[in-house]
Amino acid sequence: MKGALELLQRVSAHPDARCWYVAWNPAGTLLASCGGDRAIRIWGKEGDSWECKCVLADGHQRTVRKVAWSPCGKYLASASFDATTCIWKKTNDDFESLTVLEGHENEVKCVAWAPSGNLLATCSRDKSVWIWEVDEEDEYECVSVVNSHMQDVKHVVWHPTQELLASASYDNKVCIYKEEDDDWECRATLEGHESTVWSLTFDPEGQRLASCSDDRTVKIWKESTPGDGSSDESWKCVCTLSGFHGRTVYDVAWCRLTGALATACGDDGVRVFREDPTADPEQPVFFMSAHVPKAHSQDINCVSWNPKEAGLLATCSDNGEFAIWKYNSDS
Amino acid sequence: MICEASFDVDARVLGDPRELRSSPGTKENFHHGNNHQAAHDQPHKLLRVHVCFCAELLSSGLRLDSLEVIHRSLPTTSHTAAAKAMASHFSGVLQLTDLDDFITPSQECVKPVKVEKKQGRSVAKIQIEDDGSYFQVYQDGQKEKLEKAKITLNDCLACSGCITSAESVLITQQSHEELYRVLRQNKQVSSSEQKVVVVSVSPQSRASLAAHYSLSSSEVARRLTSFLKNLGVHHVFDTSFSRSFSLLESQREFLERFRRKEVDKKALPMLASACPGWICYAEKTHGEFILPYISTTRSPQQMMGSLVKGYFASQKGVSPQNIYHVTVMPCYDKKLEASRPDFYLSDYETREVDCVITSGEVLKMLEEKNVSLRDVEEVTPLDTMFSNVCGEELLGHPGSGSGGYLHHIYKHAAKQLFGIGVDELTYKTMKNKDFQEVTLEKDGQILLQFAAVYGFRNIQNLVQKLKRGKSPYHFVEVMACPSGCLNGGGQLKPSSDQTNKELLQQVEELYRGERTSVPEQDSRVAELYQSWLESVGEEKARLLLHTQYHAIEKNTSGLGIKW
Repeated sequence: MKGALELLQRVSAHPDARCWYVAWNPAGTLLASCGGDRAIRIWGKEGDSWECKCVLADGHQRTVRKVAWSPCGKYLASASFDATTCIWKKTNDDFESLTVLEGHENEVKCVAWAPSGNLLATCSRDKSVWIWEVDEEDEYECVSVVNSHMQDVKHVVWHPTQELLASASYDNKVCIYKEEDDDWECRATLEGHESTVWSLTFDPEGQRLASCSDDRTVKIWKESTPGDGSSDESWKCVCTLSGFHGRTVYDVAWCRLTGALATACGDDGVRVFREDPTADPEQPVFFMSAHVPKAHSQDINCVSWNPKEAGLLATCSDNGEFAIWKYNSDS
Repeated sequence: MICEASFDVDARVLGDPRELRSSPGTKENFHHGNNHQAAHDQPHKLLRVHVCFCAELLSSGLRLDSLEVIHRSLPTTSHTAAAKAMASHFSGVLQLTDLDDFITPSQECVKPVKVEKKQGRSVAKIQIEDDGSYFQVYQDGQKEKLEKAKITLNDCLACSGCITSAESVLITQQSHEELYRVLRQNKQVSSSEQKVVVVSVSPQSRASLAAHYSLSSSEVARRLTSFLKNLGVHHVFDTSFSRSFSLLESQREFLERFRRKEVDKKALPMLASACPGWICYAEKTHGEFILPYISTTRSPQQMMGSLVKGYFASQKGVSPQNIYHVTVMPCYDKKLEASRPDFYLSDYETREVDCVITSGEVLKMLEEKNVSLRDVEEVTPLDTMFSNVCGEELLGHPGSGSGGYLHHIYKHAAKQLFGIGVDELTYKTMKNKDFQEVTLEKDGQILLQFAAVYGFRNIQNLVQKLKRGKSPYHFVEVMACPSGCLNGGGQLKPSSDQTNKELLQQVEELYRGERTSVPEQDSRVAELYQSWLESVGEEKARLLLHTQYHAIEKNTSGLGIKW
């Protein structure tokens, strides 16, 4: 069951700056990258190679930390250290800045669209998670501000099908949020990591959550509903992948098409994990299927599976590059 | 264990051994170009310490960027725990503007303590003893105890470069302990040296205590008066009385703003100003943009401050600094309001309100004395001077549990501007229950559009709308706490078998249990306007009834980093 990662292309996307994040559009045809040079670049395939289609350079005053495509693919949101989140609208070959969401006290670390397309979540070093709503006139309003974390909130991610949000923080915890009455609140806190939780990803069915951390592990969490029918929701850690990563694990991504789990690590390596299909679902077992030790010359900040083409993977690094890989499960 | 360490920017609370690791958080929080080794190449090594620690270091003439600290590995000190506990009490709006534990290199305390610059080496060693005292260790091994430097609450409010948000250090001046200290002192000194102790109780605090003890608001008023007077308090007043002034002045101010709205683009919407959480947030985050919209009318607490240290003082022939004025409030933010320089009487070197204690702190006082309000006998009559008394009852005002500003201004404006008498207001709930609208329409035209906006998320949206020029309102009652003052951070917590929601409902019912009065028809208020305010002249009266706001410079832009 050994797999392999083949390098398809390496692109110097943000010269002299970190490339912090890459995101595929829902159609899988475009890759957005963002970085320390305060710019966002949109890449598309021309023949066999990825070329820069568009540069969004004047949207932010500081590093752009993450970008996220709306479920319909028409909008792009960018989270920046300048404390704002910019919403861009795709127009033919270009993007125009639609609106700028303000309110966070300091650096915005992540932005994520809910699958419904009506809600947006942002999180920041100010320890808060904000949920925004967009109406028919493309007007954004704050719905809730939740302060469940004690420290910098690094990442937010929406459940693939339910209106449920998860956040990861420097306080080593993961919080799960749901809407109650007219407000969002933290319903569960997942403890277990021994250091900063950098990123989160749900499995394709939305039954499990994977988190990655500075403690060099990846944890898999499953929601358990107690048999007595009480509405007490609790998430348990059902699997910990340890001993695989040499340094901080900065990002983790669960492939919607194949169920493979990819990680981005501070030891410059990219890894792909597969699940053992014979294992007990309550105690899943993952094995490392592929590993490229020096995938980049510096820390890898992000890893992202293409949503349409199985096995196509993008990574990006502190050296300003992104790379496209092809993962084969059986080599 | 003694360890020497220079800490990374992202180091955590002193004493946590984890802070000695090279934190990867540093890479993200340290926008230092493409430098992979940023953590090691940084030109400044910074320390995350409590405000008072920093001030002590400054007072010894050191530059922070050349400091080595020897410290014993401390468990979470009571200081830190207290700081965390206190910090969580402030309204959500205020907390979010509070600075976190992150230090960016260019931020310095804008109010450094005056230091005696010493010549010599810039590197020094500081030792922290188990009891929390600081000693500078010289090269020859000699130790010198360092003085604790203090930074006042006001300085803290004015500063956006603060190192941590340890408000607890600064608010120890305002607690029920202080009231006890003053009462104790009164017993020990001669009558000529005694302070006149005045306590002004808010109706929201009364309602909260009423819910806790299953009494009515008026019963609480009578019994609390007895309890306090037993302790040595001389007068117990009710801030519903001073609130009448706030309501009347707000009404007048609104009419005045409405009439000049064509010439002054920032006259409307008028935004309520009684909530200090909202004011502090507005000053720090939106500054000059938002301040012109905010009503200059004083809050009931500060109106009472004017009344007690102004009128009352002169009537009784007592100097303002010989009066110790305490207010009982439903939140901690009111403590910050009392400390504002605008409410300091420099001529007398005294604050208009010396000490704010919360409903919760009153409960602590009762519990410490082993007294339950249920058992207190109602022996002393209610003070009538600055209270809305009717027989043995206290009167309140109609409208929201946060003062009723929307209610009073709406009715008054409808009558005065359009000749329309309104009996009952119809509230329309918007996005959520903390956002409500009231509209006055006639013949299809909107004459007045008012809103009540409570809680941070709604305030955010209101301000953003205002910035985009899309706000349709003439007046907005803005409150920092969801559900308003009855749900303030200083109110009593629910019992074990009660939810927050249930308790809040109970408190609301008890609050509304008081019969109401109309400020315009209050003869005593009218009399005070005549005998006191008119007699001092328009300018002085304005100072007594109104206040001003100050935008606070922000210095959080990363572009300000000096490398």
